[in-house]
Amino acid sequence: MGVPFLPVPGHVGSDYERLRPEFRLIADPYSGKDVLLVPAIAPDVSFLHALQADTEGNLLLDEKEDDCLLAQASRVVVASADEIVTPEALRRAPYGVRLSGIHVTALVHAPGGAHPTACRGRYGLDEAHIREYLRLAASDDSFRDYLQRYVFDLTDHGAYLGEAGLAALAP
Amino acid sequence: MTYTPEELMAAVIAREVRDGETVAVGTLSPLPAAGVLLAARRHAPRATVLIINHEDYWPFRNGSKEFYDFAQRGKIDLFFHSGGQIDQLGNLNLIAIGEHDHPVIRLPGGAGAPMLYYLAGRVILFRTEHTPRIFVERVDCVTSPGSSPPRVPRRGGPAKVVTPLAVLAFNPGSRRLELESVHPGLSFEEVQRSTGFPLVAPRGTPTTPPPTALDLAILRGPVRASLAKLYPIFALSAFLAA
Repeated sequence: MGVPFLPVPGHVGSDYERLRPEFRLIADPYSGKDVLLVPAIAPDVSFLHALQADTEGNLLLDEKEDDCLLAQASRVVVASADEIVTPEALRRAPYGVRLSGIHVTALVHAPGGAHPTACRGRYGLDEAHIREYLRLAASDDSFRDYLQRYVFDLTDHGAYLGEAGLAALAP
Repeated sequence: MTYTPEELMAAVIAREVRDGETVAVGTLSPLPAAGVLLAARRHAPRATVLIINHEDYWPFRNGSKEFYDFAQRGKIDLFFHSGGQIDQLGNLNLIAIGEHDHPVIRLPGGAGAPMLYYLAGRVILFRTEHTPRIFVERVDCVTSPGSSPPRVPRRGGPAKVVTPLAVLAFNPGSRRLELESVHPGLSFEEVQRSTGFPLVAPRGTPTTPPPTALDLAILRGPVRASLAKLYPIFALSAFLAA
């Protein structure tokens, strides 16, 4: 939107006023009632994973997420997409919201890129992997083991897909 | 008649749904979803039912913003919240247990709660754990206050609290939660021992009406089948066999 702040309904009288000093309470100049203002968030870079992208850089994003807002708030947008399709195929997709490529700085073809979370129509949630992540993320030592196995020991994304049981998605 | 605590809570929640109103159920809320689906199949067939991310009950196609904007315009008559802590003033804590900067437990955060608690017409609070660590004298952080001063625009607020032990009702005059009823087989003293603040019971200690045979048949049949699309584990564990 390019505005410096927005008023948010509710919130007044909660501890957000104490915990978030950048939130400001003002009298609404129109109604005179108390209203909380929050400053705009302007990320330098945002990373999005799209269900599909086309060869023009247009994205098909999950309807349940607010990725279109995030992209339009960010200076640089790096998108990954599970599939790259033609612009005609992207227009025909039955599910998802489209984001124009004009908002996208860079696009990466990353099949399986949502793993261990789900990518609608492609693969489901990997519950066993998320449980393993939660177990190993409990301490710095065990999290090093996780990173070693799933990041440092792997040569490329194809190797990760093999570890994740998604080798069939590899390009 | 035999029933599970979840079936009783769902039946109690269902009674709060009015026919024709717009009822929304947020994330991680299988019990309210069960109650609303029961109401829609029983006494509230003209209610507009919204259950987040349920393929049959979620019309929004543009992220959470579309739903939040809808709620901010005052379009939700009934909503449901839970809390890491709930206190006698109807304050909710979804931020942190303990000191904010050095918490014992970091909770997930308020998301839409600090808005929906004001903008939904009525909010029913639910918890499947009724203990003194949840129902406290004063919450450690106020994500959403139970009431606010007159200068704050507020359409609604807390109406009831539903737990496995009792139903509490919010009194807008005293701005406090009061005991409405205790569930079958429980005494006032048992509920008080599980509650971290003194229970006020202006109407004595009535017993919560148990679910009827019709409630249970609907819950164990069509409601279970619909819930399984979104909450498969809950749908398997919460209900007795049809």
